[in-house]
Amino acid sequence: MHPSVAPALPSPAGSPTPTPPVPVPPAVEVVDLHRRYGDFAAVRGISFEVRPGEVLALLGVNGAGKTSALEVLEGLAPASGGSVRVLGHDPRRERAAVRRHLGVLLQSSGLPGDLTVTETLQAWAGTLSAPRPVAEALDQVQLTGRAGVRVRSLSGGERRRLDLALALLGRPRVLVLDEPTTGLDPESRRTVWRLVRDLVDDGAAVVLTTHHLEEAEELADRIAVMRAGQVVLAGTREEIAETQPATIRFTLDAGAPQPPVPAAVEVVTPGPRVEWHTRALQPVLAELLAWAAANGVVLRGLQARAASLEQAFLAVANAAC
Amino acid sequence: MTALATPAAPSTPRRVGSLAAAEARLLLRNRTAVVNSILLPLLLVAAIPMMGLDTDALGIDLLVTAAGVPLVFLTYYNLVTTYVARREDLVLQRMRTGELTDGQVLAATAVPTLLVTAGQITLVAIGVAVLGLFPAPVDVVLPLLAVALGAVLMVVLAAASSVFTRTPESAQITTLPVVVGATALSGLFFPVSALPEALATVARLLPLTPVVELVQLGLSGRTSEGELVGGADLWWAALGPLGTLLAWIAIAGFATARWFRWAPRR
Repeated sequence: MHPSVAPALPSPAGSPTPTPPVPVPPAVEVVDLHRRYGDFAAVRGISFEVRPGEVLALLGVNGAGKTSALEVLEGLAPASGGSVRVLGHDPRRERAAVRRHLGVLLQSSGLPGDLTVTETLQAWAGTLSAPRPVAEALDQVQLTGRAGVRVRSLSGGERRRLDLALALLGRPRVLVLDEPTTGLDPESRRTVWRLVRDLVDDGAAVVLTTHHLEEAEELADRIAVMRAGQVVLAGTREEIAETQPATIRFTLDAGAPQPPVPAAVEVVTPGPRVEWHTRALQPVLAELLAWAAANGVVLRGLQARAASLEQAFLAVANAAC
Repeated sequence: MTALATPAAPSTPRRVGSLAAAEARLLLRNRTAVVNSILLPLLLVAAIPMMGLDTDALGIDLLVTAAGVPLVFLTYYNLVTTYVARREDLVLQRMRTGELTDGQVLAATAVPTLLVTAGQITLVAIGVAVLGLFPAPVDVVLPLLAVALGAVLMVVLAAASSVFTRTPESAQITTLPVVVGATALSGLFFPVSALPEALATVARLLPLTPVVELVQLGLSGRTSEGELVGGADLWWAALGPLGTLLAWIAIAGFATARWFRWAPRR
């Protein structure tokens, strides 16, 4: 059974997170959001919250409804049902109150090709209430050396970084990033990750979508996996990984006795190359090792691994609806 | 959480101006557009003495033409293609994620085109004056008001037309009703009063006709029925065309607010 609603608090049960004296109101609050195009329901009742200083990653295969959900947060499209609040306001009807604190990076967006990088940033800065200096913005995304180049001549990765610089130019308190690093080389990707982390350390709330599990693991405090317009799995990466069993693998020498199978184990392959799945990795492993020691059996190539986020993601993201 | 300490936020004109300046820079980097903008009105004026025509009526006709033709062929047509191109290039959607309102984005995009339009009309006016064809207008305010409202109408009409224009190229087709239909019957090329009664009534309700009527009326005191009026009667006669013009602005403005598309169809 997967939770369809993300837990309101980011900390897993039992962890000693100090509770703040006054609860910080969420920067982004999505309740039972629906979005329809004609007969097609792209988003079918999702809910989540993001607090200042927190990153939520929406994961999902193409067509899962991630961008459709973000467009409502960005104020670019109306919700068909449910409610969205950004800093306490409706991003569409109270756009003026939200916009100056909202930084948006669209999945794909255009910039006039015949302006230079600096001119593009200057023109955008002139429309903002409290922009950062253009030189600082250039430095943030490491485009200082390309300041005088026309946008038309930039590489795809450079253009994406310029796009990100524009999203950050107004010092946003809420950042919505739709696939921020798609198409970037590994180095640019690390630059973007570092930037996002710095902003979060300064108290920004971030919602991002990604295909890259590595990106979600690297950046997100919480992850919501979407499939066919719904959140099918949500929590911290550990919580999500724990929804899948851990794996134990080893090879038995010819003629070695078979180990007894503990109760909590599902046998995937019996032997000689044994693979077990279990949700009680530690006791099962202890039992196995004790048995091997007592019987003088060598467990060749012994591996014990908790489930990865990837395993959990693949298990739910592509499952039949 | 405290509000960010901010210096006085820039005013609306400065915000729109920032984007408009970038748009103007883009236009200036387009050599063909620059040359066309200056060359066309100069040719229009230069052609007159070559044809050996010079009468008072000619000066007025030239000025009426100089007001009507750029509004349609430059302001309207150019802005339809610009709005469509910016939409299909995903630039409009990008702009919309910023602090400017929707109306401010559309206005800023229109500013350079409007400046070129104003420049062309001014060039012809200067040309007419230099050639000694400039008659004293019966009323100065009315023609200026007509051109200003006409420009506003062309901007909203262009935004509304972009709704059913898929690519910048297809603007050649989708702008035909205004560029050919409304222009031919506007009184720019022959007086509306020369048309059969029923058709003349229809022609007076088209978007460009009131602009032509009002400029003509202000410059010469002649109504589209061919009557000469002056003083309070002039403004009385202007009420009908002004009403038509404002109605078109309201209709096109409503259509834009209701149906304007910021992103390409997917």
